[in-house]
Amino acid sequence: MIFSYNWLQSFFEKKLPEPEKLAEILNLHSFEVKEINKKNKDYLLNIDVLPNRGSDCFSHLGIAREISAILNKKLLGLEINFREDTQTKIKDFLSVKVQKTTDCLRYSARVLLNVKVEPSPLWLRSKLEACGIKPINNIVDIANFVMLETGQPLHVFDLDKISGSFPKRIFVKRAKKGEKILALDDQVYELNEKILTISDSKNALAIAGIKGGKKAEINQNTKNIFIESANFNSKLIRVASKLLDLKTDASLRFEHGLDPNLTSFALDRATFLIQKIAKGRVVEGMIDHYPKKILPKRISFNFQKAESIIGMKIAPETIIKIFNRLQFKIKSKSKVFLELEIPTFRRDINIEEDLVEEVVRLYGPNKIKPVFPLSAFSPPKENLESLWEEKVTNILKELRMHEVYNYSFVSENDKEIFKFKNLIEVQNPTSSEFKYLRPSLIPNLLKNVYLNQKYFSEIRIFELGKVFLEKEKKMLGGIILGEAFLEMKGVIDLLFEKLGLANLWYDSYEPKTNFQFWHPFRVAEVKIDNEKIGILGEILPKILKKIGIEKRVTAFEIDFEKLATLASEEFIYQPPSPYPAIIRDLSVLVPKKTLVEEVIQEIENEAGEALSDVDLFDIYESDELGEDKKSLTFRLIFQKRDAPISPEKVDECFKNIINRLQSHLDWEVRK
Amino acid sequence: MLFDLKEAKKEAKRKIESCTKIEDLDQVFKEYLGPKGKIRQISLSLKKLPLKKRAQVGKEINNFKEFFEKEIAQKREKLLERKEDLEKEWIDITLPSKKIFLGSLHPLTILKRKIEKIFQNLGFSLVEGPEIENEWYNFDALNIPKDHPARDLWDTFYLKGSKNLLRTHTSPVQVRFMEKNFPPFRIFSVGRVFRHEATDARHEINFYQVEGLMVDKGISVANFKGVMEEFFDRLFQKKIEKRLRPSFFPFTEPSFEVDIYCPVCKGEKDCKVCQGKKWIEVMGAGMVHPNVFKLSGLDPKEWQGFAFGMGLERLAMILFRIDDIRLFYSGNLKFLTQFK
Repeated sequence: MIFSYNWLQSFFEKKLPEPEKLAEILNLHSFEVKEINKKNKDYLLNIDVLPNRGSDCFSHLGIAREISAILNKKLLGLEINFREDTQTKIKDFLSVKVQKTTDCLRYSARVLLNVKVEPSPLWLRSKLEACGIKPINNIVDIANFVMLETGQPLHVFDLDKISGSFPKRIFVKRAKKGEKILALDDQVYELNEKILTISDSKNALAIAGIKGGKKAEINQNTKNIFIESANFNSKLIRVASKLLDLKTDASLRFEHGLDPNLTSFALDRATFLIQKIAKGRVVEGMIDHYPKKILPKRISFNFQKAESIIGMKIAPETIIKIFNRLQFKIKSKSKVFLELEIPTFRRDINIEEDLVEEVVRLYGPNKIKPVFPLSAFSPPKENLESLWEEKVTNILKELRMHEVYNYSFVSENDKEIFKFKNLIEVQNPTSSEFKYLRPSLIPNLLKNVYLNQKYFSEIRIFELGKVFLEKEKKMLGGIILGEAFLEMKGVIDLLFEKLGLANLWYDSYEPKTNFQFWHPFRVAEVKIDNEKIGILGEILPKILKKIGIEKRVTAFEIDFEKLATLASEEFIYQPPSPYPAIIRDLSVLVPKKTLVEEVIQEIENEAGEALSDVDLFDIYESDELGEDKKSLTFRLIFQKRDAPISPEKVDECFKNIINRLQSHLDWEVRK
Repeated sequence: MLFDLKEAKKEAKRKIESCTKIEDLDQVFKEYLGPKGKIRQISLSLKKLPLKKRAQVGKEINNFKEFFEKEIAQKREKLLERKEDLEKEWIDITLPSKKIFLGSLHPLTILKRKIEKIFQNLGFSLVEGPEIENEWYNFDALNIPKDHPARDLWDTFYLKGSKNLLRTHTSPVQVRFMEKNFPPFRIFSVGRVFRHEATDARHEINFYQVEGLMVDKGISVANFKGVMEEFFDRLFQKKIEKRLRPSFFPFTEPSFEVDIYCPVCKGEKDCKVCQGKKWIEVMGAGMVHPNVFKLSGLDPKEWQGFAFGMGLERLAMILFRIDDIRLFYSGNLKFLTQFK
């Protein structure tokens, strides 16, 4: 919010520090001053008033009070000096009925007759313009001026335009559903029963606390006016302002909750200025509907407790001085306690801790000396998941992959391309680009490939992050550009090996999931024992084409939570066998579609425990072998952990294996 | 005379000297010590000699063999390291290096690990919480009332078909932890949070927050300063200037903002890190509000504590001099591969 340096100066007899210096003082004790701009002979301070201080500091008076408390400078009072015309009584001109007191805590009003509406004097116009408000005419300008000065929004109505005869009857009441009002901004607003209005016997004259209506607008012909200075329920104004999508200088102040005791003061200040500038007679008396007067709160302050919260002793005399400067009245005082009366304009002060904050900020938080806490020695708990995160990302980095972070969202377009179902939709997305929560890491990883393919021929990336299906889940996803199924399989093998996970195997893919983007003939499920923990495969070419990726892409996505749980299970060391190993090689000719895994299974089942390892070290296809054939060469390692094994025994076992393989009619062991 | 040692040595030496190639040398070797070589011939004829004579000639032959083999070895050494041959293998050492590509970690991962180590060393335990939250943990339990302007501090993404939202800060982790644990405790959390706002060089719709909480008897603002200052000095690996400013958060009272003095510049207008402002806001903090204790089931009369939160990207931008927050989520390998 913009504040004028000269205006702030007018509250003080003594000279204020230079604008830069004043800004620094406010920074350290009250609010952040975001910028200072010189304008003509004035400086404009953009002050970021904290939300709990909107009730008193959305006003020059409020900021001046802060300055007065920090610098211990005396505040000057605002001049209020007008004559009432005792010949006229307000009850003959105006009556106000408040339908519900909880909607409107206080309603004050005055009537002025025979005012002269004309452009405001220059000093008034320039003050409004400095603060970003367009001058209109002297009456409206004064109402706005008093709002900027005191923080109390005022509204002025043309008394003669209000329906009915004198005394004019005003109602503060909820709108009817569908009721319409033409507002001062020439917009028609449709109202409902959640919205409070100021109405005459026929129409709504204003949306209470938010915007005035055209019907009782002030213009050059206006003679007689009534000024409203009210205190509306802050929540009601906030809700209405949201419903109508209409934020105004008035609604902003009301929704922060103003001091109800401010209305009459601001009203009299405006009355004084109108009489001074626009002449007119002030009708005797004030309408003041204020059934439940708000009294100052009393809060006790315990020196010991304050010291314990601050962690440093501040002398009681210093504390008492701070409270005096804040206009907090000390009602009683002992060595232990202070009993304080808080002025009603400080609506943010409610509990003892609030008082401690006042002491700290005025004393200066930077004067508090840092002290290490004295606490029981309790070593921090190990976080296993984070341990595995570190390990996994390190391994993938060693495997020459680059880590990326992507948005947690996918777009409407992604939904169509990937044919996603049951996505979690954002109710208020910032754009269609970020409309759904990502159900998989793959779509955004593919976007990374698309954006990088122009500059890099080799792309190897991975991401560790949450995806959102029925519930959120941490996943690990990776991509290699190109037809790299076996390489990616090697990446997974190594990853699992380094995590100490044995029993990794690859099963054929069962397409029962949400995801239709895998190549159906180049895809596998990654399993540990019988638990499926991920998928490895190529992405469907037609999807790549839609995204604009020119080459093939191989990817994996693994449930990281399962991975971490399995990796955390106890790992037991196996001593290497002290006995020599005996090696035999074996070639077998099989149909092309025979799974390597199937052959290995047969070998292992026949060999039993004498066989410690089987490695496939060659796959050979040629015209000579026949179109539908392939030759697989395995290296068999025979070794027992607990006993030596004789060559004769191995020969026998090897023979049995050959016989078993031969028993498949279309398999042929090559000699 | 069957074998004149002196003469034989002289002749062999001459032959060896005259070789210019390894092959020639091999030839000489064969001529003497090969299966049909001179020495072999002589050895065979020894049988015919009387015993005494045989021993003497045998000795001389051994002497010659020793000499001959040594000479051959020396010559071989010379022939093998011929400068002319090596010179043919000359390479241009100023050619560009062959590129070897390594993998890389995301800058936020690198920073996250650094921060995790510091807090763990200060006795804080790492805890985590969900990214999809409800109103209770994200707002109500943190003393942020409904229909209150304070809620405007957090622009929120709501989810369709439920009352859930994407957490706007990591503070719900505090409440979830306090509900289930009894003080004293020191915890921290690093996690992704979401804000409904327009993205630009300084704002993102998702980013990371680091959250901390310490609760015990008599924990004070001074204690907060002790821990906070230690943290920043360790993070920047030097003593840096910090200051507290008053602030407002519904869940802390008193509340502060922590600024650090720009570690890069001395207030130059075009400083990439502070834009010439010198002080950079890096952390929000305060003493846990009594209402938050109450709402989490703890007695505020018994316990005091501090809590703090900071943006991971903001710190990464200062540490790595990055001037656009969107780079973190760009997947741009030209950016990412700079971090190892």
